[in-house]
Amino acid sequence: MPVYQIEHLWSDVVDASTRALLAHRKVPLFRGKRPVLLPVDLYDLVYDGGPKPIRELIEAFPASCGENAWRALPPTIELYKTARENGVPIVHVTYDTRKETDPRGVHPTNRKRRQPDLALYNIKEELAPVEGELVIYKKRASAFFGTPLPAFLNELGADCVIIVGESTSGCVRSSVVEAWSLGYPVAVVADCVFDRSELTQKASLFDLHLKYATVMELPEACEFMRNARL
Amino acid sequence: MRDFEDYSWRDLVDDEVRYIYTPYVRERAVGRRPGLVVVHPTTPVAGRWSVSVQALLQEARRRGIPVVHSGNPAEAKSGEPVCARPCESAFFSTDLERTLKRMDARSLIVCGAPTSGALRATAVEGKSFGYRVAIAEETVGDESVFLHKMALFDLAHKYADVMSLDELVAQL
Repeated sequence: MPVYQIEHLWSDVVDASTRALLAHRKVPLFRGKRPVLLPVDLYDLVYDGGPKPIRELIEAFPASCGENAWRALPPTIELYKTARENGVPIVHVTYDTRKETDPRGVHPTNRKRRQPDLALYNIKEELAPVEGELVIYKKRASAFFGTPLPAFLNELGADCVIIVGESTSGCVRSSVVEAWSLGYPVAVVADCVFDRSELTQKASLFDLHLKYATVMELPEACEFMRNARL
Repeated sequence: MRDFEDYSWRDLVDDEVRYIYTPYVRERAVGRRPGLVVVHPTTPVAGRWSVSVQALLQEARRRGIPVVHSGNPAEAKSGEPVCARPCESAFFSTDLERTLKRMDARSLIVCGAPTSGALRATAVEGKSFGYRVAIAEETVGDESVFLHKMALFDLAHKYADVMSLDELVAQL
């Protein structure tokens, strides 16, 4: 049984008495033979303005995750490569911008300032779906809410899911909670999820690991995918 | 109403984080025709939140605001509907949504515990269902003060209108 040493992912943000709750953690061991990789909301919008601190981008690019997004890009590319080499299906998740779905009015969150350019919801080129990969178009925080994702996972024969993307405290988190609610063992790859602040990133990683998922780092996630028997 | 950031999470959030989250700052209000969803924890959660829930329940009942309980069959004796809750969100695999329809609720007030678990999941899914969601910070509680504050921070910025109990009751 692998033991992931991951407390360093949040120990400088989460206080000791809260961290002590991990002693009562009830999340079962992450396991499965047919994982599916679910990258959530990795579209151009969150990389907008380049790899800079968010405080320098917020006026011109209110939805950007700046350097946090760019830092997660190389490990996410590596994760995709490992998934594809080992036959792990990738089901991409992005925002539905069809005008009939009111893309300027119906949003996952109550954020007030938004980028007007809907083309920015294209999945980032380096992470784009390849021929044959499925894409979920969603309107709400969770990748499952009102989408065919539960059916896709059944048809793919998934028995566990690995979730990456952004934001850790928003769409990633609610997708993790819903995957867990549907009965899937869930892994979150810490190197491949990001948020607007270190505070929300680390608090979310801790809380997800405490309640719903197994947080792991890139090498463990790649090893898991290599060992999955497809 | 107090400043957007002047609630229980204020000591966790420095100036930079506050600045990064300015695109989320907005007017807050209780939606029209609210229904009150009381999220009962599956294991006891200590704290004064339950006293504030009773105060809010009293205000709601006095005004004829529909009330529904999630997850505590003992509440059935109040005569108010109870929806069993198998997972975290009060909506997931439950009849909460059709109960809200039957009660003609058009928006939500959500209270209960734990803030970072069932309460949070319920508020997020309420938003996903298209409801405006209001939360009074005194009426939610968690075994961890840190997780309580962080959950309220996330909810306030992205999914719900977080305010004090006095501010919420004043709008009923």
